[in-house]
Amino acid sequence: MKAFSKARLTKTEVRTWNASANADSLMKVLVAVAAFTVIAILTAIAFELYLNSLPSISKFGISFIWGTTWDVSTEMFGALPFIFGTFVTSLLALLIGLPISLGVAIFLSEKVKSRRMVTRSIGTLVELLAAVPSVIYGLWGLFFLSPLLRRYVETPLHDYLGFVPLFAGTPFGLDFFTAGVLLAIMIIPTVSAISRDVLNAVPNSQREAMYSLGATHWEVIWKAVLPYARSGIFGATILGLARAVGETMAVTMVIGNEPKITASLFSGGYTLAAVIANQFTEATGQLYISSLIEIGLVLFFMALAINTFARLLIWKMKRGMNIRV
Amino acid sequence: MNKFPCEQRLFQMIGFLRHQRLISDKRNIWTRSAVTTPVIATAVVAVLVVASVGAYVVFSSGRGGSASPTSSLSGTLNVAGSTLVFPLMNSWTFAYHQVYPGVTVNYNSIGSGGGIAQLTARTVDIGASDAPLSASQYASLPATVVTVPESISAVVPAYNLPGIKNGLNFTGDVLARIFLGNITNWDDPSLVALNPGVTLPNHAITVVHRSDGSGTMFAFTNYLSDSNAQWRTRVGYSITPNWPTGIGCKGNEGVAGCIENTQYSIGPLEIAYAIENPSLISYGAVRNAAGHFILANESNIAAAAAAGASAGLPSGDAPWTGVSIINNIYNDTSAPTAYPITTFTYLIAYEKQSSQTQGRLVVSFLWWVVNDGQQAGVSLGYVPLPSNVVALDDNTIKSITYNGVPICTQSLCPSS
Repeated sequence: MKAFSKARLTKTEVRTWNASANADSLMKVLVAVAAFTVIAILTAIAFELYLNSLPSISKFGISFIWGTTWDVSTEMFGALPFIFGTFVTSLLALLIGLPISLGVAIFLSEKVKSRRMVTRSIGTLVELLAAVPSVIYGLWGLFFLSPLLRRYVETPLHDYLGFVPLFAGTPFGLDFFTAGVLLAIMIIPTVSAISRDVLNAVPNSQREAMYSLGATHWEVIWKAVLPYARSGIFGATILGLARAVGETMAVTMVIGNEPKITASLFSGGYTLAAVIANQFTEATGQLYISSLIEIGLVLFFMALAINTFARLLIWKMKRGMNIRV
Repeated sequence: MNKFPCEQRLFQMIGFLRHQRLISDKRNIWTRSAVTTPVIATAVVAVLVVASVGAYVVFSSGRGGSASPTSSLSGTLNVAGSTLVFPLMNSWTFAYHQVYPGVTVNYNSIGSGGGIAQLTARTVDIGASDAPLSASQYASLPATVVTVPESISAVVPAYNLPGIKNGLNFTGDVLARIFLGNITNWDDPSLVALNPGVTLPNHAITVVHRSDGSGTMFAFTNYLSDSNAQWRTRVGYSITPNWPTGIGCKGNEGVAGCIENTQYSIGPLEIAYAIENPSLISYGAVRNAAGHFILANESNIAAAAAAGASAGLPSGDAPWTGVSIINNIYNDTSAPTAYPITTFTYLIAYEKQSSQTQGRLVVSFLWWVVNDGQQAGVSLGYVPLPSNVVALDDNTIKSITYNGVPICTQSLCPSS
């Protein structure tokens, strides 16, 4: 306020004024350094991964990406089964996890918003789910979820729909399907918590306008709230997808760790993160180690590609819809 | 230019919510702190006083112990490597510290490959490896190393078959065909022929194995390579073999968990993990060179190690690439009780130590492990080294030198 009448400031006040101006510029430098540190770290990671995977890159070239053999004893390394496994499990996690997360978010923000007890307790529980370490999810997946799914989901699906390639094979419980379900459970907290915040942020005028036209509660949610919050929900989904792609420990424990490309969900698979976790500690030989690091490089760029794609999509969607959210 | 207004709005909203919460939290802290600050300060001072008095007592008593001859040794010994021997190593470092209170032994269980890499870079004093060093590992080492086999490990075919307990009979060839995916059913004629009187179920076999690199798998595939030509040419042996079939589970405990959870499964398992849960996991007997079906136990594992050593082991400073008890006893009919899938794990150190202090620690620790330490392992269920292996190790340790002079002295290497 005093800025408007600088002439009448006392000496102390002027000093404070100058100090705060200095603090301002100092702060500017500090935050700039912080921002550039992020860029520097990102570049350093990419560079280090590239440098260490050079032996593998020069040996296999681009064929590393679509090579399907991973054989340590003959030193033949190809990443396709791992890329495939990462893709399939993440997709499955989204297919299962997104509807549930949206359900949670809609329930909390639209259905029981006024009942603080309900929203608070469910909201807290969902957030607690995010705090469980992934190795605990893995143990739970191995000893509880996998036998359960095998017995009550996979075996019936296989018995009645076994002619569909997706459900062919032998239901073993440690496969793409279990990994996908486990990942779905793991991304629910992220996706639902952010979606809930997004839905809560939708202005009430949107809802009121819809109600004034005589819409039912569901129509309001479906036609006014969700479209308005669409890109926010999409952002939440991408954060969930990023978690699914990078998840290591829990997936390693339930996916069966077979480098295989198959149409069946009931077959063991392998992901990029899992092969690094499994094999890096006991890896010997330059080509073997650098191939594992190149797997890390592929994972890095896959995550980068997902984020870029998501941003492009949000941007395009907004231009197409011409809505400002 | 605001490229992503909606996203910014989203984060603003979330930020705003957080901000609100933060402010109310802050208020709480401020109102609370007026009362609690003196209490906290007093507590901190009290803790500091107690800690410093405690530290003084502990350290001065440590110095007081220096009257005994053994504690003339002091310093820190760094060991890194195999995850397989971690439980044993953990109890060894503790027991060794009781005998030599001035010495702290750090064990980093980062994996065999990592341990040897650290040794190559001279960042650790001793490396622990599940398999003998490969030719390329030897090539990258800057100087001659000694190989000290320090513990024995055995791998059993573990299975989960309803109604069938321990002692199903296997041969190496049949195991190889199961793990190749050639034998797919439990009532396969070759399994039935090995097990007269046992009703084997007409059910598909689920093959389980390790997904991570492991000395256990190295030993198992080594045995399969000896037993079956197709396995030898198609898969060979490695700590991370390219399994033709089966589900990979992480770690010995992971394989045990997968077998427990899956009826009709079979998988190679370190024996310590196979005997942990007998109600859910059983394990089979394996036919040895003399034609006997041997169900692994402490005495027949020790017999295998003794027979393997007497068939010839290289001297400690020679290359050990390709050395294997399994190979040594595969055709050895003179050891009728030997369990065929038995293997050593190894400690590796430089033959010419570059520092006298560290050299004395290395020699003292190695000597203690292969002599007194063996008894410390028994209480954990490990099989002690047979006397001929101990004798070989003792000679190896005596060959470690500093400046051309052997480090071993009577006080460092007390003959037991």
